[in-house]
Amino acid sequence: MKIIVLVKQVPEADKVAVNPETGTLIREGVASILNPFCEYALDEAVRLKEEYPEKEIEVIAISMGPPQAKSALMRCLELGADRAYLLSDRKFAGSDVWATSNALSLGVKKLVPDFDLILTGKQAIDGDTAQVPPETAEHLGIPQITYGVNTKIENKKIVVKRETEEGYQIVSTRLPALVTMSKGSNIRRMPSMKQILEARKKTLEIVSAEDIGADDTKVGLNASPTQVAKVFAPPEKGGGEIIDGREEPKLAAKKIFDFLIANNFI
Amino acid sequence: MTDNIIITETIEEVPLETIRVIEGEEEIRISHPGYLFDESKISGGHAEKIFFPKNEQEVATIIKKLNEEKIPVTISAARTGIVGSAVPLYGGVIISFEQLNSVKGIGYDEEEKRWFVRLEPNVTLSELNDVVKLKKFEENQSIPPEKNWVEKFKELNTYYYPIDPTETSAAIGGTIAANASGARSFRYGATREWVKRIRVVIPTGEILDIPRGKYRAKDGNFIIKTKEGEIKLVIPSYEMPKAKNAAGLYAKTDMDLIDLFIGSEGILGIITEAELWIKEYESHMSNVAFFDNEIDALHFVDLLRKKSTFKPEFIEFFDKNALTLLREKQEEDPKFVDMPTISKTVEAAISFDLPFDEETIETIISEVGDFLGQCNSSLENTWCGYEERERARFKHFRHAVPEIVNNLIAERKKTYPEIHKLGTDMSVTDEHLVDIMQFYHKKLEEAGLEYVIWGHIGDNHVHVNILPRNMEDLEQGKLLYKKFAKKAVEFGGSVSAEHGIGKIKHEYLLIMYGEENVDQMRQVKLSIDPNCILNPGNIFDIEVKK
Repeated sequence: MKIIVLVKQVPEADKVAVNPETGTLIREGVASILNPFCEYALDEAVRLKEEYPEKEIEVIAISMGPPQAKSALMRCLELGADRAYLLSDRKFAGSDVWATSNALSLGVKKLVPDFDLILTGKQAIDGDTAQVPPETAEHLGIPQITYGVNTKIENKKIVVKRETEEGYQIVSTRLPALVTMSKGSNIRRMPSMKQILEARKKTLEIVSAEDIGADDTKVGLNASPTQVAKVFAPPEKGGGEIIDGREEPKLAAKKIFDFLIANNFI
Repeated sequence: MTDNIIITETIEEVPLETIRVIEGEEEIRISHPGYLFDESKISGGHAEKIFFPKNEQEVATIIKKLNEEKIPVTISAARTGIVGSAVPLYGGVIISFEQLNSVKGIGYDEEEKRWFVRLEPNVTLSELNDVVKLKKFEENQSIPPEKNWVEKFKELNTYYYPIDPTETSAAIGGTIAANASGARSFRYGATREWVKRIRVVIPTGEILDIPRGKYRAKDGNFIIKTKEGEIKLVIPSYEMPKAKNAAGLYAKTDMDLIDLFIGSEGILGIITEAELWIKEYESHMSNVAFFDNEIDALHFVDLLRKKSTFKPEFIEFFDKNALTLLREKQEEDPKFVDMPTISKTVEAAISFDLPFDEETIETIISEVGDFLGQCNSSLENTWCGYEERERARFKHFRHAVPEIVNNLIAERKKTYPEIHKLGTDMSVTDEHLVDIMQFYHKKLEEAGLEYVIWGHIGDNHVHVNILPRNMEDLEQGKLLYKKFAKKAVEFGGSVSAEHGIGKIKHEYLLIMYGEENVDQMRQVKLSIDPNCILNPGNIFDIEVKK
């Protein structure tokens, strides 16, 4: 069985600031990391691999990005992926969500045509669009389940526990399918030194646009129907007030009560 | 040319009333209680005034005035010390360094071929590293201005200040006065080795500008030429331990004057400006290896120190009890520890950071694998991470033990308010590491005390934390503490490897050096500060002459 995990390298979000004048991201001193939701997806793939040894699951990580995104794929290999591919080519530059999902689906078809399952993060913490995984599923013509927190494989089906605003749903679909993950295990994996060493002996290939048969009409800026008009930082939230209730809880409760009354909340 | 004679700089006084001040003991107790405590949590601090000088000139003005009136003064910056150095036990005046908090500039020493930063004493370690890592320097901050170092610095890779005494909110002035170290001293030494120059206000209100290398002792002394006359400082004759040490004054026959002030806990002068070396950042991987017994772990430390072809940044230790505390915490709140579950069979762990890049990583890991194999462990049993956020998890893991210990003690204080943790800070020489570890375990087991051992084993400097369950345990623990101090000294070590003596470890300094030698330190103090106004009570008791 083959599970593909589609991943993205992102700047460590809580450290990124926006230059208020130019609207560009200030990237100095900010590390690039594997998108945390993608790590949940990878974690789930490795968990399935461990849980169903009889299925001889192979986990393949695929990303699209500049050459330095190799380090995000290396992290996937360290965490348990068996091989990895980076779609990297100047022709991909400027791709919006449509062109990106197009490139990814072409990559999947070319590199792992016999895949059984695709796992992705629900969204990337930089763009936050959550559109690339569903569009990729559409391009590939396979069913999709979003916001998964846990998966099980039953016969030729995937059973997904998914998060909704009201609670959890259990949904299943036939394979091949695409599932986006919104949560992972409480404690993230920690590779051993052995895994760090072995990851460097696994396949990590860079793949060009030509390799996957993508031309200018399908990928890159020209194939992108949307463009980012402006980037700006959200207004800062006020600091609020902390009422320490450890000494006199009744007094603290009274203060909160008065505040709620004064502001017409109750 | 080096010289043992230094001439003071004088500064024009400012009218004292122009300096911001808070007055009244009661007023300070109510409105500024934080200034009466530091992280030692010792009580008894009180003061009549708090001054808030804006610059060196104002500091010098205040000090001169206090000296004339023989009023004791305690310097207050970040108050992160844990031996009470910033607690004003003798009353008098507090000088807050709050406003002395700017990074002044950056320069390149063309002789030494090293970069340095000039800064005021209340810049914190995290602020310093923020400025250096993100290169937040204005064009006019080059030292000297005509060299245009700022522009050149901005073209370089990432730099940083490598001394990491855990508490990054510590003020630079305090770290110099305490000669702070922490885990990374294994590779980089303590603060001392990173100080290029300091400016110091002495009790006369004059300034000493001391670059490293300019003033060296001659015939066992230094001469300070002041406006009024000469001060002769006779260097104490004791021999300092070869092990890591932060106890008492630095003393060596041919020593540099700067070293007398570094680590002197503010009893000889007040640092108003410093220049610190910085270095290029290297990528590191953080690791924790697990062992089925402590002897294997100590053997691994020995191999890392003696046989490795690369130099670890630090080597840290967790004993069986520390790992048990962590494992129990994991069961209760896995996120607090944020690491995979620790196996029940392990009895010791070693945490170590190694510099690496993609070219060397395979060689390094293979070498570590070989060492681990010799110590009945394996690469499979060793956690590894190198991304910044992964390394933050390791750092958090290392700090989790003291945090859990502190929480536990806080809980016990509810039943026995007098209870506190007994934490040792002793070092020994390399050849006595196994002996002292066995001594610790044996004595603690015999006494039936609850304890954990963790810390900087690369420097043979572990912290034994005794966790008293009742007052009886506390008394027994105190007796053991003294025994440990005597044993550490016997093994060529120090009673305080990094925390300093402050106001709470005087008796251990006596165990280490004896009354006569401590008296030699007192003589240095009395020569430069005859009225004993500067940070009284640090390192040793001195009767305050009011």
